[in-house]
Amino acid sequence: MTLDPFENDAEQESEEEEFERPLECSECKRSIAVHYTEIVGKNISHVYMCSECPILRHRLHGTPHIENMESQTGIGTGLACGNCGTTLDAIRLGTPLGCNVCYEVFDAVLLSEMVAARKIPPRITNGTKKNATLHRGRSPGEIQEISPSLRLLALNEALNEMLKTEDYEQAAWLRDQIKALTEKKGEVTNEQ
Amino acid sequence: MSNNKTNPNGSDPILCQKKPWDSNDNSVWLASTISLLRNVEKFKFPAKLEKGRQQQLIALASKELLSGNLLKDPKLHSVEQISPIHKQFLVEHFLSTLNFQQAHSGEAFILEESGLLLATLNIHDHIRLHLIDCKGELETSWSKLVEIETGLGKYVTYSFSPKYGFLTSDFNQCGTGLIISVFLQVPGLIHTDRLDDVLESVIDESLVVSGIQGNPTEIIGDVLVVQNNYTLGVSEENIISSLRSLTTKIMLEENSAKHKILHEGDPEIKDRVSRAFGILIHSYQIDAIEALNAIGLLKLGVELKWLTGLSVRDVNKLFFNCRRAHLLQQFDAEPKQEEIGHKRAEYIHKVLKDVHLTI
Repeated sequence: MTLDPFENDAEQESEEEEFERPLECSECKRSIAVHYTEIVGKNISHVYMCSECPILRHRLHGTPHIENMESQTGIGTGLACGNCGTTLDAIRLGTPLGCNVCYEVFDAVLLSEMVAARKIPPRITNGTKKNATLHRGRSPGEIQEISPSLRLLALNEALNEMLKTEDYEQAAWLRDQIKALTEKKGEVTNEQ
Repeated sequence: MSNNKTNPNGSDPILCQKKPWDSNDNSVWLASTISLLRNVEKFKFPAKLEKGRQQQLIALASKELLSGNLLKDPKLHSVEQISPIHKQFLVEHFLSTLNFQQAHSGEAFILEESGLLLATLNIHDHIRLHLIDCKGELETSWSKLVEIETGLGKYVTYSFSPKYGFLTSDFNQCGTGLIISVFLQVPGLIHTDRLDDVLESVIDESLVVSGIQGNPTEIIGDVLVVQNNYTLGVSEENIISSLRSLTTKIMLEENSAKHKILHEGDPEIKDRVSRAFGILIHSYQIDAIEALNAIGLLKLGVELKWLTGLSVRDVNKLFFNCRRAHLLQQFDAEPKQEEIGHKRAEYIHKVLKDVHLTI
C-alpha cells in the first residue's frame, strides 16, 4: 500500500512523509532528537532516535556501549528475566519490559534508570529505604473520585494572583470562567 | 468489515467518527487526551507475548469491554482488518503519540461509537484506554476511565505491585499508568516571542511541554502539548491539579498576549496573519506542516477579528481535516502520493472561499 509512509522507498520521501515520520525512536520511547541517515552504496537507511540513544553512540563512535555502561554501574550484563527472557542489555537499549517479573529481577536497575531520567519526583526517592513503596496513586479496584472543583481551585488561585498584581482585566476573565463553571453546575456562588 | 474502501458518506465504522472535532469551539484549550495503561497478570507483556496468548488476551479483555456495560456501542477491529490509512486516521483523530500505524497482527482496537474512546489491546501494553476530551473536563474524563477500568478489573487481574503500582511495559510509565496531555493553541505567545519566558516562569519538572508530534523543539500549528512527566510517585489527583494550575496560567498569558497584539496593532503580526491567509488561499499545493502553521495564525486572525466569514469552530475543523488521513478520507479514490499537496490546497480554498481580511 503506497499510502503507508513507512513502506515507501527512501528516495521517494516527500515533505509530506516528513510530517508523518515516527514520533518516537523506533528502538525506545523517548522523543526523537536525531534523524540518522546512512548511505551505503545504493541503500539509504533512516533511523530516528533520541539524543541519548546508545545506538547513536554506537554508530558514531563504534564504541561497545554496553560494556561502558556496565563498568559505570558495576552490574553484570548476563542478567536476564527467567520468566520472559528479557535481558539487562535489552532494557538498557530501551526495549520494553517483557513481563511483570522483570520489575522484580531488574528492580535496582529500573529504579536507577528512572531516577536518572527524572521520572520519579525527587522527594519520593530521597531518603527512602530500598523496598519502600514508590507508588502514590490508587490501587486496583479502589474507587477514587476526583473532585471537579480542582478546576475551580486553579482558577481561584490564578484570580488571587491577578488581584495581587492588580491585573483587573485578567481577573475579570477569570471571574467569567469561574462564574460559567459554577452556574453550569447549578451551584450558588458567593462572590463576596 | 473495516477495510473496505474509503467511503465519503461515512458508512465506514471507523471514519464516521469525526464528531468531536466537527463541533469544537475551543480557543486556547483545544483538547486533552487521557490515557490509562494496564496489563493483565499471568500474561507476558505484548513484546514477549506468544501468538496464541495474544488472542486469549484479546478475548478476555474484549469480552467485558464489548458487553455494552462499560462502553457505548463499542466495536472491535483487529489490526489486520484496518488499512494503514485508517490506522493513521485513528492516530490523528485521537491525537495519539502512540505509534500504532505500524501495528502488528495480534493487536486490536475497540472504538466507542461516540468517537471519544479508543481502547488498544496488545499495543505496547495489554490494555490502553484512551479518551479525548474537548470540554476541558479532566476530572470527569478521569472518573469515566476509572469506571471502565474498575468494571473490567472485576474480570481480569491487573499487574500491580505495591512498590511500582500498575506495571507497564515501559517502566517510565508505571505507577498510576496515567498520561494526560493538554493541547493548547497559543499563537499569541508564539508570535510575540513570549512563549519561552512564560514557560520558564510557570513550568516545573512535574510537567513536560512538546509539539504535536512529540518533539519539544518543533511546535506545529502553534499547538503546545503539556503532559505529566511523572506517573510514579504522584497521585492521579496531583497529576490533574498540576496540569490545571499550569494550563490556567498559560491561558491567562495567551489572553494577555492577544489583548496586547490587538491593542497595539503590531504591524509585524498583522503581516504574518495576512501572509498566512495568502498562503492558504493561493497555494497550488501545500504540505501538512505548512498548512497547520498557517492555520495557527489564521486562528489568531479570527480571534482578533481581522478576518471575517470564519468562526473558531471552522478553523478547528480545518486544522483537523488538513492532516493526511483526514484529508484522504474525503475522496472516493485515493489520490496519488504526489497529488496530496494539491488536494489539500484545493480543500483549504473551498473552506476559505468566503473569508476576507479586514486589516
